[in-house]
Amino acid sequence: MRQTTGQITRLGSLKTLLQRFAFLSLIALTFALMLIGKADTVFVERTRIAITDAVMPIFRILSQPANAIAVTIANVRELAAIREQNARLRDDNGRLLQWQSIAQRLEVENRSLKALLALIPEPTANFVSARVVGDTGGTFAQSVLITAGTGDGVGKGNVVMTGEGLVGRVMQAGTRSARVLLITDINSRIPVVVGEAGNRAILVGDNGLRPRLLYVGAKTVVVPGDKVTTSGDAEAFPPGLPVGRVARVQDVIVEIEPYFSRDKLQHVRVVDYGLSGILATPSPPSGPKK
Amino acid sequence: MHQTTVWQKLDQQARRGVPVSITIFLLLFSMVPMYVPGVPSLAPMYTLMAVYFWSVYRPDGFGYGAAFMIGILEDLLVGTPLGSTALALLICQWVVLNQKKFFKNRPFLEVWLGFAVIAVGTGILRWLCAGLIGTGRFSPFGDTAGSVVLTVVIYPVIGWLLAWTQMKLMQQP
Repeated sequence: MRQTTGQITRLGSLKTLLQRFAFLSLIALTFALMLIGKADTVFVERTRIAITDAVMPIFRILSQPANAIAVTIANVRELAAIREQNARLRDDNGRLLQWQSIAQRLEVENRSLKALLALIPEPTANFVSARVVGDTGGTFAQSVLITAGTGDGVGKGNVVMTGEGLVGRVMQAGTRSARVLLITDINSRIPVVVGEAGNRAILVGDNGLRPRLLYVGAKTVVVPGDKVTTSGDAEAFPPGLPVGRVARVQDVIVEIEPYFSRDKLQHVRVVDYGLSGILATPSPPSGPKK
Repeated sequence: MHQTTVWQKLDQQARRGVPVSITIFLLLFSMVPMYVPGVPSLAPMYTLMAVYFWSVYRPDGFGYGAAFMIGILEDLLVGTPLGSTALALLICQWVVLNQKKFFKNRPFLEVWLGFAVIAVGTGILRWLCAGLIGTGRFSPFGDTAGSVVLTVVIYPVIGWLLAWTQMKLMQQP
């Protein structure tokens, strides 16, 4: 009996020892992975793409109910405001018809001027629409997962938009999924122009809801309400894409309210402008070469 | 007779795998867009809740390897620096397993209080890791604090769901 008790005690201490060894080994492995993550970003990026691609079917299924609920709520809201919306649309329609005649006149004028200058037309951008099925949360990283990948023509560096404005850029593209780095992410840097005067600055995310402007000229006057658009510098984004408007100016801090709203991000448009410029991405691209 | 034994073994294995499967499901579910205003900017740490729960109530079904694997999976999917969440989850589990006497047969309120302390520590650790290993820039600490508060506040709901799962799926019929 005493021998059995001794055996149990020995087994217990052996188990504790093994557990301690497992814990210490895994902690060491964690630190090793942290170093690998810093040193070999291509390997880590490929692993991230493979894992995201693998779980994409699960995300597609899991996101269906929330998507359906959001669509139903939006429909009910639209029904409630249908009369008011109808009146507004009628007004808009009248105004837009006036603009249409102006646009048609300008188009004819533009065409004849281009013919006069023998201007080479800019290449047209290709776009793919995709559904947002994964949101990585906002405290430590701000990115979303979408249902289109290299198989659908999406590539690293493509611009991601909604009807309202710029959402971000494709940072990783798998065969059937892609990760979009939002303009609010701490790694995001976008060359922009602010206000009517077109002053240049860099829009920098901080993982919060409102990214900030950096490198605004000392003599530049920025006021709340000023529009922010992409400048086209560094060839990461084409010029003139709507980004947001200035929400708050306090001393040197200029906060921007993006046009797109994160909690309504159901579908996005991924546009390939054929730009090769990449910002704040130290690793070489792993997706298909553009 | 032989077939029954095989089935029984399979059944036992499946039941043993419940904590890990449920935690992975919770991780994937937490990443599904919910279209609720304000929620995406304050993401609760669901995997921390699960790792804490299983470490307190079912340490036999959730080892260090499971915590490590789930942390790495979260880092890869969410985009946080590789190894940072795994480190946080491993330390959480180590603290709980080393304080078995404190957690044994304690009322829920005390277990919740213990979780609050661990959530604060994990929040600070993850914030430090994201800043030091990631970009070299620290995100505003207010968002991390908000995430920690949200994690602590909803722990009872997730804890109740996990307890229910444990009762339904892990107990032998």
